[in-house]
Amino acid sequence: MSNGLMGINPTLDFQRQMKNQGGIFQTLGSPAMASKPGAPASAGETGDSGTLTDALLGFLGDGGAQGLAGLGLLTSAYGRLGDIGQRGLGLGQELAQTQLEQAAFRPYTVTTATGGQFMAGPEGQYTMAVSPEEQAMRDQLFGGAGQFYQQAAMPTADREAEIFERMRTTMSPEEERQRLALEERLAAQGRLGVRTAQFGGAPEQFALAQAQEEARNRAMLGAMQQAQAEQAQQAALGQQYLMGSYLPQQQMLAALSPGQTAAAQAQQAQLYGTGLFGEATASGIDALLASGLGQANLMGAAGTGLLAGLFGGSGSGSGSNPVRDLIDYFRNR
Amino acid sequence: MAQELRSINLVAPAFKGVNTEDSPLAQDPSFADIADNAVIDKRGRIAARKGFEVITTSTTPLDSNPITVIHEFESASGSTEILSAGNSKLFKGTTTLTDITPGGYAINNNNWKVVNFNNKAYFFQRDQQPVVYDGGASAVLLSTVSGAAGITSAIYGNEVLSAFGRLWVADVNGDKSTVYWSDLLIGHDFAGGTSGSINLDKVWPDGYDEIVALSAHNGLLIIFGRHSIVVYQGAEAPATMTLADTINGIGCVDRDTVQYTGTDVIFLSHTGLRSFRRVIQEKSMPITSLSKTITKDIVALLQTETESFRSLYSPEENFYLITFAGQTTTYCFDTRGTLEDGSYRVTRWPSSIFKSYKRLQSGEVYIGTTHGISEYTGYRDNNDKYRFRYYSPSLTFGDAARVKFLKKIKPTIVGANNSTIFMKFAYDFNTVYRTTEFTTGSQIPAFYAVNEFGPNSVPLSEFTAGQLTNQVSLNAAGGGTSVVVGLESDIDGFQLSLQEINILALIGKVL
Repeated sequence: MSNGLMGINPTLDFQRQMKNQGGIFQTLGSPAMASKPGAPASAGETGDSGTLTDALLGFLGDGGAQGLAGLGLLTSAYGRLGDIGQRGLGLGQELAQTQLEQAAFRPYTVTTATGGQFMAGPEGQYTMAVSPEEQAMRDQLFGGAGQFYQQAAMPTADREAEIFERMRTTMSPEEERQRLALEERLAAQGRLGVRTAQFGGAPEQFALAQAQEEARNRAMLGAMQQAQAEQAQQAALGQQYLMGSYLPQQQMLAALSPGQTAAAQAQQAQLYGTGLFGEATASGIDALLASGLGQANLMGAAGTGLLAGLFGGSGSGSGSNPVRDLIDYFRNR
Repeated sequence: MAQELRSINLVAPAFKGVNTEDSPLAQDPSFADIADNAVIDKRGRIAARKGFEVITTSTTPLDSNPITVIHEFESASGSTEILSAGNSKLFKGTTTLTDITPGGYAINNNNWKVVNFNNKAYFFQRDQQPVVYDGGASAVLLSTVSGAAGITSAIYGNEVLSAFGRLWVADVNGDKSTVYWSDLLIGHDFAGGTSGSINLDKVWPDGYDEIVALSAHNGLLIIFGRHSIVVYQGAEAPATMTLADTINGIGCVDRDTVQYTGTDVIFLSHTGLRSFRRVIQEKSMPITSLSKTITKDIVALLQTETESFRSLYSPEENFYLITFAGQTTTYCFDTRGTLEDGSYRVTRWPSSIFKSYKRLQSGEVYIGTTHGISEYTGYRDNNDKYRFRYYSPSLTFGDAARVKFLKKIKPTIVGANNSTIFMKFAYDFNTVYRTTEFTTGSQIPAFYAVNEFGPNSVPLSEFTAGQLTNQVSLNAAGGGTSVVVGLESDIDGFQLSLQEINILALIGKVL
């Protein structure tokens, strides 16, 4: 609803503001005008009695009334100009206060599709909250990441030993079969008791032992590599879990951007409306002040004209100077 | 009416050697019941053994102890040197015994075994650090040789063998199942290179045995236990040598009874003399007993022997000698051939003072006695005579039921020189012999530029054309169903062989 001043179709708040502004504007007219001391009195308050009254009527009839009217107009114009300044100052301050309130930050909340919320508080604080399901998932992932990192941070020696033992458990039966076969072969050859400086035992025993030791060494190296790989895997899993634990927050932050854009747009519209309101209100104030000035000027000009007519005539009136005519009137009596 | 004398001819009596195993009555007359200080000569006759001539001029270093070990050290240059041991000392030389015992080295036994290996001679005996001699002024302890390794009590073995480019040591006190071998061509390194050992605890065919001797034959390493034998092939590379054969129930009684004949290995087991006789095609080694005719005698000696055994094989003399040093008894096995049952012909050398033997590369046989080193030669034992004895088994002349009355005994003796021959005979297993004697003729050996009857004698000389043969006819008396004929003579510088004994007997009635 237009108030006939702004010429725009503001939002509800703005409408409310405009209404308020209109209220202000409206209060600028009638109450102020009604309470001014220079306003013309009603006809019942201007009666006279006796000579004086007659003299005054005569005087007024002879042009004295013109001079008094001019004087009154001037006085009233003067006083009105001072009031107009005061009113302009007051209206400016009220406008500034109103716009400060209008341009103030408005709290808002962004809610994602998964239930997460971003809340911008009135004091400028921001609060984010994911949904309980996301929080549970986040807690699970975060805890898992901690466990993975904890496992990755542990020394690999124990794990190496465990892997090595498992590998040895797998290898041992075959090694035992090979050892028994060699033992039988050596026994059949009468060589079980062979000890050599070169090989320790029989060359075949050395070869078997060497092969088994090499296999053992390979298993050990494999266990070390496996343990390290598992360590790296634990770290990677920890990282993945950790990243996953922040994913609800990231997604909420990602969802916050459009919300913030909408809020910014609303804020911008609010600021724009506030600007328009200020400009319109300032224009109204200016018009009000200008009309006051015009009224004052008009009143002053009228008073000046009346006074100039009073004091401009000769004899019983110059007809051109009402003030002098008024003075002459009272001297002649 | 006078009965005809039956001639019973004992041709080459005892040429089959002594037989104490078979029943006397059933024996072949070619056996002998006693053949002391005898050998089988080149013509297959029983003959007196040779004596010994002492080479050592001074026995002071021996202090009345015998030479218990004689060894011929052969250097790489081909020179030889005689090494010996006795009186807890080591010697070199023959006429003069030079002490080469390492300084400060206390020897507590004289049962060394010495082998040549890579230009050195190694001495081993139980619980003593081995000693090595390289031709220098003195022997040295093995551990002091530059580069020596592993010379610990673990290899202070009683048996050592030089074969396959290594030293092989066994019979260590406290470890009688392990054979140690040295590094290749390095006899003082038992801890490095390709040295090693083999424990036979799990190899013995009957579960347990103790190593007594080692031998190498035909590429095989033969390990003698006391009652079993283990044979390995491929011992050129000991780490990979493999078991080739095991023999259970037959072992070796002493390391010093093992001798090589070139084609066989002879050793003394607890049941007599044995040999490996290898059949190349079949790759098997049947064990043959070589002392079947005197098994009980051998066993009896083995059971009572406490000192040592010494043996010798001489292809020149064609015999294998085995001496039971503690019982002063030596058996001589003729190795030229075997009897039908595979045994050697054997004679006995009683009262033997021989304590050690060595056949030199030159073929001479050296004998160790308390006189020092002697040579097996001549027919005197250090200028002393010795008694040759022959006794036949009990002879029944094919008819044990009839009484025989000996009328004449006609021995044919080859050799001897003015020797008194005692012919003995007894009947029916009586050990009291009747004796008749005769003296052989004289035989003067011809010497260069020496006349038989002195210078310028006429005739100049009358020499025998070789050995003297004596044939005499001796009267005999008495009678019995079985007869034992004997012959004894002191050997005092001249050979004696018994060619035959012809007996003329009157065969009586059946008892």
